[in-house]
Amino acid sequence: MARELKFESPSFGKRLKSMLGVDFYRLFHTPMYYIFLAIAAIIPAMILGTMGMENPQTGAAAAPLYTNVWQIIAADKPLYVVSGIAEYANMNMVFIFGGIMVSIFIGHDYKSGYVKQLFTTHAKKQDYMMSKTISCAFAMACMCVTYLLGAVAAGLLTGISFQVNVTSLLFALLGKMVMSLGWASLYTFLNVIFRKYFGVSIASSFFFGTGILIIGAAAILGNNSLLNIFLYGSSVFACLSATPLTLVVCLVCSVAWALIYNIAGTKILSKSDVY
Amino acid sequence: MNAIEIRGLTKNFKEKQALCGLEMTVPMGAIYGFIGENGSGKSTTEKLICGLIHPSSGSIRLFGKPHTDSDVRAKMGVLIEAPGCFPNYTVWNNMLLQAANLGIKNPEEEVRKVLKLVRMEGAAGTKYKNCSLGMKQRIGIAMALLGDPKLLVLDEPINGLDVDGMRIIREVLVDITQNRGCTVLVSSHVLGELEKVATHYGIIRGGKMIREMTAAELEADCRTYVALQARETSRAKALLSCKYSRVEEDESGCLRVYDQATPEEVVTYLYDNGILVSQLQTAKIGLEEYYIDLMKEGR
Repeated sequence: MARELKFESPSFGKRLKSMLGVDFYRLFHTPMYYIFLAIAAIIPAMILGTMGMENPQTGAAAAPLYTNVWQIIAADKPLYVVSGIAEYANMNMVFIFGGIMVSIFIGHDYKSGYVKQLFTTHAKKQDYMMSKTISCAFAMACMCVTYLLGAVAAGLLTGISFQVNVTSLLFALLGKMVMSLGWASLYTFLNVIFRKYFGVSIASSFFFGTGILIIGAAAILGNNSLLNIFLYGSSVFACLSATPLTLVVCLVCSVAWALIYNIAGTKILSKSDVY
Repeated sequence: MNAIEIRGLTKNFKEKQALCGLEMTVPMGAIYGFIGENGSGKSTTEKLICGLIHPSSGSIRLFGKPHTDSDVRAKMGVLIEAPGCFPNYTVWNNMLLQAANLGIKNPEEEVRKVLKLVRMEGAAGTKYKNCSLGMKQRIGIAMALLGDPKLLVLDEPINGLDVDGMRIIREVLVDITQNRGCTVLVSSHVLGELEKVATHYGIIRGGKMIREMTAAELEADCRTYVALQARETSRAKALLSCKYSRVEEDESGCLRVYDQATPEEVVTYLYDNGILVSQLQTAKIGLEEYYIDLMKEGR
């Protein structure tokens, strides 16, 4: 049987576009995404809401954690060494919950057998890494927005001060949103490594998301700006004294790590078996 | 050009060697029945062809190109273990997602077409998690058919299907190979069904291909026998065993005489020895018996 067969080569753009379309469709049609958006909004509201609560035994009000509503978005200064919960609890917490969301999102791919279909027809693993990173980065950036809205709403209810340098606040917000890309790539990478073990994927995402390693390093090195080369470091650097340079640092760090994790993840996927 | 050409393929999983020097040739346009016992290496071979796992050594070529070639892989359809659907989405949405992944231009039209082909149009709005096993198998096949694949790899596609479902799948396989230039590699334990559509066979044992043949070669290779029912089965068997080298009794108490015996010869022989034959026919062993015989030979 002499039959001519022609195989069209799908372009990179076409391949990525189709995969992104699927990932965004899944994101918007998964209740989990909206639950995490809600969680992101509730966190600052809960923290601000519990501030100043009275001790039932002494009747004295607890010392306020924040004097300004924007401190729940970012610290006044880049504080890598954490001495209290107020210095730690800010928009960076979105990245912890974002990690869990990415683990669930990618976990479904493997659990349902979707990756088998995908990797049979899509030979290029790079597309998968990129598509997941971009869609999850978008989801985390959206979580940053709902976190901001939650913080503003809670600030209005508690009557806390709104005074801020608007330009710095904007750079801090943008910086943190830009960091979503780097964090999403880290979580995608971790989930590719631990793809067979869903629990380990979530635990590792949580572990790295807390920034505990950088906090530990800062305890030794002090508030050293060298820590900005790491994802958590740059995320902390995007604070209420942010400048255009802060945004550039966040952008460079986020993109650099996204590239590193994508290349490493692609290599792992290309060399490992899919079950 | 062959659709699949496998040479010296081995795959090791830690201490276990799943495939040892597998050779396989699937011509274009064939429905290749891939047969073997559980754990013989069928699924491993299929996963290797699909690029889901990596060979330890050897080569796999699809349509003359390496199996890792993304152009060729874009024209593959696969159903291995599960169709890869999201349980909370409807059948329609799952199909659309796969169509989008494949970059199909008119996804809705294409999805409608393949669902119609497997007679699943009515289930489009059903959530995948609410589908029966048979429905899921048909959805899996429909999904594999998206994008007009040139090579279809199906692992146990008729598992869980009712009689009508099996007939539909048979018709689909014949249609796509004869009218759309598709090649199908199908593994199944339901050999009776496979025999109805397969044009080629490959029998694997212990990670090695022990026989490859066309349906015509199988037909020629399958021996005829005389099947009979006699009143004194055990005496008849003993008598026949003296004259013919291979006499077997099946589960229903029917005796089978091989060795190119003619019915007249057998009846006359038994009659001469005082045994009456109540039923008599000549028959040919099917794929299932051929396969069982082949497996026995190897033990």
